[in-house]
Amino acid sequence: MSMSSAEAAKKEMITSSKKGTKGKYFGVKFMNYFLGPIIAFIIFAALWQTVPLLIGMPHYIFPKPTDVINAAVSDWSLLRQAVQITVLESVIGFLLSAVIGIIVSIILASSKIIERSIYPYAIILQTLPVVAVAPIVVIWFGAGFNAIVVVAFLIGFFPVISNTLMGLNSVDKEMDDLFSLYNASKWQKMWKLRIPSAMPFIMAGLKISCTLSIVGAIVGEYVAGVGGGEGGLGYAITVSAIQVNTSFIFACAIAGAVLGVSFYLLVNLVSNKILGSWHESAMKKEQ
Amino acid sequence: MVIKKIPKAKVLEWMAGCRTKGDFDLKEGHLLQTNKKEMVAFRQMSKVFSNGTVALDQFDLTIGEGEFLTFLGPSGCGKSTALRMTAGLAEASSGEVKVFNKDPKETIRNTNDIAFVFQEPNLLPWRKVIDNVVLPLELRGTSKKEAKAEACRVLEMVGLKDYATSYPRELSGGMKMRVSIARALAAKPKLLLMDEPFAALDEMTRQSLQLELLEIWEKEKTTILFVTHNVFEAVYLSTRIAVMSAGPGRLSSVIDVNLPYPRHAISRTDQEFSAYVKKASDQLENSLDKRGIG
Repeated sequence: MSMSSAEAAKKEMITSSKKGTKGKYFGVKFMNYFLGPIIAFIIFAALWQTVPLLIGMPHYIFPKPTDVINAAVSDWSLLRQAVQITVLESVIGFLLSAVIGIIVSIILASSKIIERSIYPYAIILQTLPVVAVAPIVVIWFGAGFNAIVVVAFLIGFFPVISNTLMGLNSVDKEMDDLFSLYNASKWQKMWKLRIPSAMPFIMAGLKISCTLSIVGAIVGEYVAGVGGGEGGLGYAITVSAIQVNTSFIFACAIAGAVLGVSFYLLVNLVSNKILGSWHESAMKKEQ
Repeated sequence: MVIKKIPKAKVLEWMAGCRTKGDFDLKEGHLLQTNKKEMVAFRQMSKVFSNGTVALDQFDLTIGEGEFLTFLGPSGCGKSTALRMTAGLAEASSGEVKVFNKDPKETIRNTNDIAFVFQEPNLLPWRKVIDNVVLPLELRGTSKKEAKAEACRVLEMVGLKDYATSYPRELSGGMKMRVSIARALAAKPKLLLMDEPFAALDEMTRQSLQLELLEIWEKEKTTILFVTHNVFEAVYLSTRIAVMSAGPGRLSSVIDVNLPYPRHAISRTDQEFSAYVKKASDQLENSLDKRGIG
């Protein structure tokens, strides 16, 4: 069977996509994807700056963007330190929830009996508000870093479990038959079929979990944050609230949001690297 | 793909030279099976699903080594179920199915003798073409080098050697099905089960794949059990057609197709070919009439 014409078309496609004028492509991409959000942001920032000014709102009730920037610049070392600590806590919390979440899911999915016995409790645990258990965590682990990491882990753990389990259990029936036909063992099926086909689900779980772990770290810091430059964003916010330093609270909140977005983008990048070659969610769309 | 019309006498002469050994003999221009070894046997096999549906009822059929047998029937006649049971993927409610005189599950446990091609190509999208083809060998613990060499051989056979490092999503429907067939062949099966593998393909692709499949069948001497609801396909491919009726699934008749191979020499408008198509269609219609349909 001659495939030469198909081959030629394929080659042509590759070369033409390389040849395409980069500058023009960037211009179109900028117009399509970035121009709208940038304009929206400028309008939003302008309104935020002018409305409090017009109605004479004091900065300790509702600070303007310039107040927030001033607060961030003047207390920069405090903010940077707080961000660093929160990053460390949430990254460790996230990694723990990813690793433990995936391992627990694999164990649960390896046996229907284990899954049926334990999964209902996992769901009940998931519904427990983490804010309510945080003080218990402090009692068990002592105020400070460890307790905060545990809270970040707890909040990020369940999305990983529920997504991974759903992925491991939604393997195509015929694929499963195919593996049975080749006498694949239970663990061969797990490693070569169930885990790879669950990857899109696992990645979706990790994306949810990574931003939640930052929320978890900040909540943990509210409850278990200690001073002495080890408090993180949550602790900085509680202290600023007592001091009615509203501008700095805004700066901390925005820093937290920036952190969340960067964390999400990072996990998204990893996800695209893993799924890029085969899964629709991560593939570049053809024009 | 160029299909040449070769005079029948020439075909017979050619065939006399190349297809007289094994379990086949050439007689008056037709391939007839002689002293064939029993490969698959359905004995009084019934299958009732848990919801009470009778998929197969008292199904009796023996398939010999080297045959190309096609199950032809309307949807719901249990032809796919029969195939799945042959692969050990479903259990008989009563009666039995034997492959090489053994329970299919036992055959699967110990050998690579049974392969299955589904209607969907069912390729692992995260694996490149070659890694998909290697899969059956990999699962059996064949050495990587050996497995790759075998994968290259079968990919060449289906004309996809140049696409070994492509991902399945980069292939067309027909190419994906070729990979699926290559994967089934990689394990050098003695019995190849195919469940409407070409049903989702366009007519041109289907015809070229049918031809390729026949070439592979003749070369590899694999026994093939093929499921289809397409009468033309059944006549074109098979040595025998098992016509089935639905509700409950029963074997209504068996047609021996005494057309010579290779069949690319046969025009699909040939008188003899048409006669078989008519016969198979009539049988199929009869089986529908029995149910009060049609």
